[in-house]
Amino acid sequence: MANSNLPRRIIKETQRLLSEPAPGISASPSEENMRYFNVMVLGPSQSPYEGGVFKLELFLPEEYPMAPPKLGRICLDILKDKWSPALQIRTVLLSIQALLSAPNPDDPLSENVAKHWKSNEVEAVETAKEWTRLYATGA
Amino acid sequence: MDSDEEIHDVYDGDSAEDYYYSGGDSNMDGGDSIGGGEDEDDDAGYGYGYASDEGSEKTYTVLREDDIRQRQEESISHVSAVLSISRVAASILLCHYKWNVSQLHDQWFADEDRIRKSVGLLTKPVAMFSNANEMNCGICFDSYPRDQIQSAVCGHPYCITCWKGYITTSINDGPGCLLLRCPAPGCGAAVGHDMIHKLASDEDREKYSRYFVRSYIVDKKKTKWCPAPDCENAVEFELGSNVYDVKCLCSHAFCWNCTEEAHRPVDCSTVAKWILKNSAESENMNWILANSKPCPKCKRPIEKNQGCMHMSCTPPCKFEFCWLCLGAWSDHGERTGGFYACNRYEAAKQEGLYDESEKRREMAKNSLERYTHYYERWASNQTLEKLSDKLKEPESQLKFIIEAWQQIIECRRVLKWTYAYGYYLPEHETAKRQLFEYSQGEAEAALERLHQCAEKELLVFLGNDDGEVETQPDFETFRPKLAGLTRVTRSYFENLVRALENGLSEVDSQAASSTSVSSKNAGAKGKGGKAKSSSSRSSRTGTRNIDDVNHWNCERCTYANPESSTLCQMCRNPR
Repeated sequence: MANSNLPRRIIKETQRLLSEPAPGISASPSEENMRYFNVMVLGPSQSPYEGGVFKLELFLPEEYPMAPPKLGRICLDILKDKWSPALQIRTVLLSIQALLSAPNPDDPLSENVAKHWKSNEVEAVETAKEWTRLYATGA
Repeated sequence: MDSDEEIHDVYDGDSAEDYYYSGGDSNMDGGDSIGGGEDEDDDAGYGYGYASDEGSEKTYTVLREDDIRQRQEESISHVSAVLSISRVAASILLCHYKWNVSQLHDQWFADEDRIRKSVGLLTKPVAMFSNANEMNCGICFDSYPRDQIQSAVCGHPYCITCWKGYITTSINDGPGCLLLRCPAPGCGAAVGHDMIHKLASDEDREKYSRYFVRSYIVDKKKTKWCPAPDCENAVEFELGSNVYDVKCLCSHAFCWNCTEEAHRPVDCSTVAKWILKNSAESENMNWILANSKPCPKCKRPIEKNQGCMHMSCTPPCKFEFCWLCLGAWSDHGERTGGFYACNRYEAAKQEGLYDESEKRREMAKNSLERYTHYYERWASNQTLEKLSDKLKEPESQLKFIIEAWQQIIECRRVLKWTYAYGYYLPEHETAKRQLFEYSQGEAEAALERLHQCAEKELLVFLGNDDGEVETQPDFETFRPKLAGLTRVTRSYFENLVRALENGLSEVDSQAASSTSVSSKNAGAKGKGGKAKSSSSRSSRTGTRNIDDVNHWNCERCTYANPESSTLCQMCRNPR
């Protein structure tokens, strides 16, 4: 289907993602739709997310690379106004991994979690570890 | 009513209060003031926006698109010369600095390196240039011969196709394209306007150039776009002036402060209130107009949501009528087509009777638009040309007719807003209310005379298309009459506007004499001056009799002058 007219850029990016994956990141295109990627990001070591595996879905819209990839509800500037066609899937995923190492409670998805993080970081980190263990390991 | 000297402008109460009544002072020297004197046929023809006759000071300048482009060119040349940079670099800087040349100069000379860095004006490439014949595009990752690769100053290589995609995406995203930068992450080198012009499609270039012009105005406190649809002009305002009414070259008159239609003598906050109020109510009104008809007997609006054409109004009216022709149902029945049709209506509709009454209803609702419409139609029909032909007069000699019509339009607008003023005038201020209704009525009567003359009496001279018109002598009396009425009407409205902007303060100072005025207008006329009855108007068009002992009525304009004056204070006609 959509795979027939896949731009060379997407093919090249996919090949490189598969042949030289970034540490802690895997991204593989869906068989039915080469614009649709199943992504796994490992929780960075020394972060509360260490040991967790975080699954994401990434989709390359028709306008890609002039428009950014679509990636759920992640607050990341390069997925919005700071996008540049010279960025790639790899760079986006690395940025997400970096976000796990250094969360930005000033630009949160969940207001409550951000408040908790700002008022009591130690406790919030414990919660993050707990949730990582509960929801992002095994299975 | 000779109170010019006492007037203290309370319009918005800030600086430069009274310069335009005193005929211009320190605020206004230099600039493009228009000479005063007997400058009756000033092209702007915008009487009451300025001081009356002794000095019309323009408080604003209309900028056409060409004027804006020219100013941009001048700024670019200036900056380029002073900073010794290219014109492209100068225009990038000006876009970043919102065309504020002096701020740009200050900051540039304070720290050129920082400015260069922040706007992305690099002095040399940062990317390594390879000497290979082929280069890889950083966006599509394909390899291209050198001549197909382009870069900003930084040297990051992208192929022409990808550049085009990048530029078109940016232009379609909005005016941010004026500050476009190299796509390389973290680079930030500015993409010059020359590169965009070279690579963009015609359509995008057009858009880009529009954004460029608009960037000159968007960020300026002194300049605003004319709000009229499709008008490309901007208006530059003399800060410190407190006369906010401006008139664009497209002939749209608006308030510079709130950009609503010009609304003197009412202040901006009242206008906002009024518009808000009416937008809520006009929704209702629109619905009622679209979905109901008034009962032919009691006039209550009736919505017909189902059933046949035989209507019975609710008690106590109980009138039975036909929904289609609105005639009494007693005339209906089998012979008119039964319960679901009305052949009287069909017949009348065929003759076009109903269409016309529908149209009239519409027109009545849009009185101001109507006059503007009439004027435009009048002007576009080349009435002047025709008249000029018939009378063997050059068109320039007929300008007074245009002025009369412009005056009519402006007065209609003022008149319209005085109703908003009246609405918000407190009920208990009886004396002010009476003075308001009196002045409003006077002004309206003058306007009706002018309108009558400009519309009906002019027709005579247009005559039929065939046959000679023996009107030369008549026309020579028509000219001064119409010009005189124009002048008089303008005076009436100037006085009205001043009085209202003054908060009708005359009432306080002339409490005693106002009783004589109020005796004539005795009897409340309902809320907000809305119910100004036609009977009160007709009594005004006759001779005035306020305080007959101390006044004389002008023969020409009927203005009531104090005994002491020998010339009419309105139209300068001798007693």
